[in-house]
Amino acid sequence: MATSVAERLHAASTASALELRGVTRMFGALAALTDVTLSVRPGERRALLGSNGAGKTTLFNCITGDFPPTSGTIRFFGEDITGFPPHERIRRGLRRTYQISLLFAGLSVLDNVYLACRGVSRARFSLLRPRRDDTLVQTADDLVEAVHLSAVKNQKVAELAHGQQRQLEIALALAGAPRFILFDEPAAGLSPAERRELIAILTGLPEHIGYIIIEHDMDVALRVVESVAIMHNGRIFKEGPPEEIENDPEVQELYLGGGHG
Amino acid sequence: MLLLWLVFAIWPESFEDAFGRKKIFLNALLNGITLGALYFLVASGFTLIFGLMRNVNLAHGSLYLLGGYIGFEIAEWTGSWLFSFVVAFVAVALVGIVLQYVVFRRMEGQELRQTLVTIGISIVLADLMLWTWGGDFYQILTPEWLSGPVETFFVTAIRSSGEPVYLTYPFVRLLILLASLILGIGMWLVLGRTRIGVLIRAGVDDRDMLAASGVRIQLVFLGVFAFGAGLAGMAGVVGGTFQSLAPGEDIRFLLASLVVVIVGGMGSIPGAALGAVLIGLAEQFGSVYVPTYAVVFTFLIMVLVLAFRPQGLLSNR
Amino acid sequence: MATARPAVQDRARPLDVSTRLGNWLRRIPPAAWGVGFLLLILPAFANDFILVQVFGWSLILGMIALSLMFLAGYGGMVSLVQMTVAGCAGYMLAIFGTSAIASISLGWPWWLAVLTAILIATLFGTLSGALAVRTAGIYTIMITLAIAAAFFYFTRQNYTIFNGFSGFNGVRPPVVLGVDWRQPTPFYYLTLVCAALSYAAVLYVSRSPFGLALQGTRDNPRRMAALGFNVTAHRIAAYTFASVFAAVAGILLVWLNSQISPGTAGIGPVIDVLVIAVVGGLGSPIGPFIGAIIYVVLRTFALDALVAVGLDGARFQLLIGLGFLAIVFFSPDGVLGLWERARNRWRHRQDVMRIGEETR
Repeated sequence: MATSVAERLHAASTASALELRGVTRMFGALAALTDVTLSVRPGERRALLGSNGAGKTTLFNCITGDFPPTSGTIRFFGEDITGFPPHERIRRGLRRTYQISLLFAGLSVLDNVYLACRGVSRARFSLLRPRRDDTLVQTADDLVEAVHLSAVKNQKVAELAHGQQRQLEIALALAGAPRFILFDEPAAGLSPAERRELIAILTGLPEHIGYIIIEHDMDVALRVVESVAIMHNGRIFKEGPPEEIENDPEVQELYLGGGHG
Repeated sequence: MLLLWLVFAIWPESFEDAFGRKKIFLNALLNGITLGALYFLVASGFTLIFGLMRNVNLAHGSLYLLGGYIGFEIAEWTGSWLFSFVVAFVAVALVGIVLQYVVFRRMEGQELRQTLVTIGISIVLADLMLWTWGGDFYQILTPEWLSGPVETFFVTAIRSSGEPVYLTYPFVRLLILLASLILGIGMWLVLGRTRIGVLIRAGVDDRDMLAASGVRIQLVFLGVFAFGAGLAGMAGVVGGTFQSLAPGEDIRFLLASLVVVIVGGMGSIPGAALGAVLIGLAEQFGSVYVPTYAVVFTFLIMVLVLAFRPQGLLSNR
Repeated sequence: MATARPAVQDRARPLDVSTRLGNWLRRIPPAAWGVGFLLLILPAFANDFILVQVFGWSLILGMIALSLMFLAGYGGMVSLVQMTVAGCAGYMLAIFGTSAIASISLGWPWWLAVLTAILIATLFGTLSGALAVRTAGIYTIMITLAIAAAFFYFTRQNYTIFNGFSGFNGVRPPVVLGVDWRQPTPFYYLTLVCAALSYAAVLYVSRSPFGLALQGTRDNPRRMAALGFNVTAHRIAAYTFASVFAAVAGILLVWLNSQISPGTAGIGPVIDVLVIAVVGGLGSPIGPFIGAIIYVVLRTFALDALVAVGLDGARFQLLIGLGFLAIVFFSPDGVLGLWERARNRWRHRQDVMRIGEETR
């Protein structure tokens, strides 16, 4: 009896959190993404590496719904989300951070996080009714504390330091109950101390939350993931565990030798 | 197909009893197209200015009326209709240059603020014009050699003798239509083929690229604004000839420009042409066949476009 | 999110209404109390004309400008259709209620007519919003202006419903609860209460989840979508909210003038509302009312002032236009902005003086 339950649990857990099949994206005649196929398990942490212009951010944009793929499918926890508008994907547990922080400059830190919590709260139509909702404020407060921004929680975003803005960026992605997060160069512009903190936050995330992280800083990237995928010219070039990728001669040539684009 | 039949065939009597005389239909059709030509003149300047500089020039109607008034004065003074065109173009273009240089250049990138300024300018201009020319209706007289109807090849009816009756239509309106066509095609060619045109179109898509290519971007802006304003001024002379000039015409033509570019697509000359013809026809047919609801026609077209293709019919966005 | 959740009892949970209200009341600045008091006792020393034609009208125009400010300031959408919504409400009231044009007016009981008018006008505002929000920001002005113009021309041309050029007259407030609301003093209080409620509503909503989300869509619509918000739906809802008090203002307006005609919501008044909102300041709900009182005072007394300076009294629009240009040039956030900067400079000077004394 126990075995079959375990078997069933095992089967359920190997269903992928994020599955891309043959995703291609054309911009006019330019192929930004070509036949991208990858599969990420729930709770898996993967790095997406590659030189500038390899198509990493474009891939993220496709997954979050900024634009649809020209062809191919995207499945999120088994559901085909290829045609969904962005807010529908978010409501299913997908989250994302941006290379350049997209924050609400005119609002305070707490307000920013509160909005993030609000956006995915179940009572959707209460968005339209003006009410004071204390539990969500509480949640937002906790989240602000979790990313160590409590000291500045009432300051306007425009007044924050760069590193603090990046922390806020991450807080926005953690709001609600994320199931899978896409981190786009979270370490960009951070000091060494801030990078250590970032690594702590990433590795400290609950186990069921999987993520893909785009990062140029190998130190950060390889330390927080269990598998790596390399993109080049819009395709997945290689995939594997960090040690393998680090020592792969082709990868080394790409980065040290002819890496361009 | 139906349209071709309507235009070229002789309408049977029963048809005419139901739909009115063919002559009225043809008149409305031609009036609509020539009105569309006038709208095109105004709207193309508007769409050029917005397309390149992202400046919603809500003073465009005032520029139209100003050009008309100036044209009237010149026509009175010199007796030359053609010359008044030139003066109107130059004068309003100068106003445009002053506006761009003194005002808009300082507000680069602040679209909303520029738009608010154009509103303020239109209020000031409207009142100054009211002060100078009063509330009367001014009409620019068509010169002798252009006035009078001309026979077209459209047949309206058959006389009892068997001879066809051809539709007569004011020559000057046909001339304006021709001129607008030439101007429109000219603009399209310039934008499409010449170096400056390519630069402008590139600037529409990517302003930084334009600046980086070494072109003095402010000069380009100045030129485009001047040209767009001049067009409006010239259109004022046309409007003063076709119809009349009075306070309120500035708003009317501003709104027409708005609707034309909403329908046709911002920044697109062919779009302005298409939108202008559509709106001109809608207005004319509306005022002939359903007078109290004519506005609804125009509005309906605008609403339909907004609902199903919000960026405009011929927009390449 | 591993940190321990503090005990709920530690948070200041306002359990009873009185403490919450108390907190809220305490945060109102004394200047506001002064102004509010003055407004309340105004009928005691102002004549009927000042009461109704100056203050009443200012409050009504202020409400409509508030509607615009809500959409523009919090939502980043400059909508020129708000005055039209007000006009629509006024017309609907005339059509469904009683007026001197007995052939068209349906003569419904006043409360039903008022409700219907507000409903229809709000619907109109919502639909206009639906048309306007799917395109990028700057188009909103164009589209809403076009809608406003269409409404103007249509009401002018149509005689079966809107009675064309002449419009409706004889639309008066009813006698309710023994009070004749047509009289200056009761009417003034009616407009004051409506304006105060609108103001309070906007202030409250601006900090509510809906208001915050709206400001989010203003600052960063892409991020809002990426947080799970349906940006388009939100914006349309904002139009609905703003249209409600524009509609109420429209009803008050038609009662104020006892008549409504196409010119009431013509292009001139439509632009004037924008001027009022911008001049007052789009940054705070009090801005529209400041702009409105300036406009009305100018409008009422400019004739005499202009003549005194030797200009033709009819040059009022020129004055408005120049004043508007001046504000947009030198203080784009309106009179409020000027006030803020003056206050900051005064405070700064105070600090400098204090520091100067301390270091002596």
